[in-house]
Order: sequence, then structure tokens, then C-alpha cells
Amino acid sequence: MTRGAILFAFNSLKYDYYAMAEHTAKRINHFLNMPVTLVTDEESLASDSGYKFDKVITVKADKDNIRDGMPWINKGRYQAYELSPYDETLLLDVDYVVNSDRLLKCFDLYEDFCCHDNTAFYMHPKVSQELLSSYSYKTLWATAVVFKKTERAKQIFECLKMVQENYAHYANIHQFISNVYRNDYALTLALRIVNGHTVLPGDIIPWNLLHVGKNTSVYANTDDEFNTEYTVLFDNWQKGKIRKEYITIKDTDFHVMNKDIYVELIKHG
Amino acid sequence: MDINTLLADAKARFSHNSAKHYLREKYSSKLILADQGGLWKADKETISLLNSLDTEKVVLMDTFDNPVEVDRVELLSKLSTIYSETMKAWLKEAQELEGKR
Repeated sequence: MTRGAILFAFNSLKYDYYAMAEHTAKRINHFLNMPVTLVTDEESLASDSGYKFDKVITVKADKDNIRDGMPWINKGRYQAYELSPYDETLLLDVDYVVNSDRLLKCFDLYEDFCCHDNTAFYMHPKVSQELLSSYSYKTLWATAVVFKKTERAKQIFECLKMVQENYAHYANIHQFISNVYRNDYALTLALRIVNGHTVLPGDIIPWNLLHVGKNTSVYANTDDEFNTEYTVLFDNWQKGKIRKEYITIKDTDFHVMNKDIYVELIKHG
Repeated sequence: MDINTLLADAKARFSHNSAKHYLREKYSSKLILADQGGLWKADKETISLLNSLDTEKVVLMDTFDNPVEVDRVELLSKLSTIYSETMKAWLKEAQELEGKR
């Protein structure tokens, strides 16, 4: 059984996703001891700084998704199943900071597909779970997905493609905004469709996806390439004033939602 | 700029509440074990139940709500070890963070 990770990275006008992918790939190699395949486009390859991915697959970027007035190339994630050269694959967002070997546990506990359905935010302990809309499903997260090459996993990714191609239709049914395509929403719908409009407990990673979210920044405590200790700084707004609060975290993975913060982070650790 | 200077300049205070939340998130995930065809949490209920039974094989509901027949002593031993190691590490990090201001 071969095992590896696959990352998708397409540079935008504002962000160098290729550099983010290199950073994440190095940490996957280090903490998870797995090879990494990159899916990218010819334009983004220009950012190559010499890191050797296990395999680089170039595809045509789908620039059809617009966020903040510029293309946000996040479509086409359904190709992970076909493009992955591994029997067992970790599909990860490039802004996920691998800071432990925790994701390896997914390979022990899943049947053939798993993702997160619960999140938690550093510094915001009481944030409720995201829903597609007020009257729809709880969001599943495409940030970290583990799958095997099975017929059912293939169906999930085929369904993901179908949802992507009919996103406006599903947005209309589930009452969410269709202007910006989100993999999390498409995965939520695809997995439920394949499972007969339900969620199977075995498809869920049994711990929370940890986000660094709103008004929160994160700094590496050392300049080491594989630094494991971070400071999370939070602007706590109270009565029009900011009170700065922080915690120190170590040996714990997290997902940085703000790309500007992530770019700063990878410059330093 | 090093972290201590950054925190001093920002006059940032350590959030014990958020640290407690972070520790819970971090260590509760470490209590999970896939073993003998089921998924288990090394919590006090499961360990107590395994301890209180006396047969070699028992059927337990795993965290996926599936009944699984397990070797009781083997599972008890693994869960007890995980529980003990995880709680010790949790306590150690909690004590480290307790002193922060």
C-alpha cells in the first residue's frame, strides 16, 4: 500500500500558493514522513524554489471562481482521486500547518474516506459550527481529507465534480451564496449524496479542525524550519478598545484562514 | 522581532481561558485509539466499564456506535496506557502555561 499527500496550488494575483505548498510539503515530509504530490499549473511552476516534490502534475487552472475581485483557483479538487499516485492519500489545503503526526492517526481509523465535521477556533472557544445556511446542513471541511482508492471514494469525488458543475443549483436549494465556490460546501453536499443524504460517523475525523480565525494572528516562536511552538495573538475588542491576548501552542496542527497571516508565518518558520 | 518583545510591545496578556480550551482540543484527540476493529476513546467511562467486567471477551459500542467484540484485558491495557500518558502530558503543559502572564 503506497501512502502520500496531495496538494493543489495555483498562484493568484495576490498570493504565491506554490510557495505555500512547498512550505506545507516540507512539513508533511518531516512530521508525517510521507511523499507529496503537487497539482498546479504552468504559470505557478515559475515560483519553484528548488524543493523536490515526489511528483508534480500540471493541469489547466479553472479561473472561473472570483473572490475579492480576483480569481481564486480552488475548483477542480475532485481531480484528487484520479491524480493521486498513492493507494492512500492525504488531501490537504496548503494553508494547513502540519505541526505534529496527528493526521497519521486518520489512516488507522478510517474505512476509505474521512474529513472534519467540527471545528474550533483558537481564542474563540464559543464559536458555533458553520452551516451551509440557516436551514441546511452543518458544513463538512475539505481542508484535510484522507481517502483510499475504493469505488465509494471514487463516487464521492465524482459527486464532488457534479456538485461543482451544478453549484448554483445546489446553492439555490440550500440557500447559500453561489458567487464564490467553496470546496467545503461542495464536499458537504457530495458526501451526503453518496451516503444517502446522511453522514456516516466513520467518515468523520474524530477531533476538531483547529482554525486561526478572525482578529487572530500567529507567530512562530523560533526561526527553525520545523518550529513546533507558536504564539497565537488575539485582538479582543471590548467597548471600542482592543485588549491583546495570547496563548502559546505546540505540537498541534492548525489551519490559518487569513492568507496574509499565513504568508508572514511561512517567511519565519 | 522576537516573540517576547512582540508581546511586551503589544502589552498582551496570557489568556488562561483560551489556553485551557486549546489544551482540551489538543489532548482529547490523543485519547482516541483504533483497535480490534473499533474506534475507542480512552476516557474514564470506557476504562471503568472494562475494569468492572470479568469475562475474557466483551461486546462494547465503539465511538461509531457499532457493537464490537473485543479482548477485554488487551483493550483495557491499551486504553489505560493512553489515558495515563496523555493525562500526564496534559497536566505538564497545563502547569507550564499556568505560570504565564
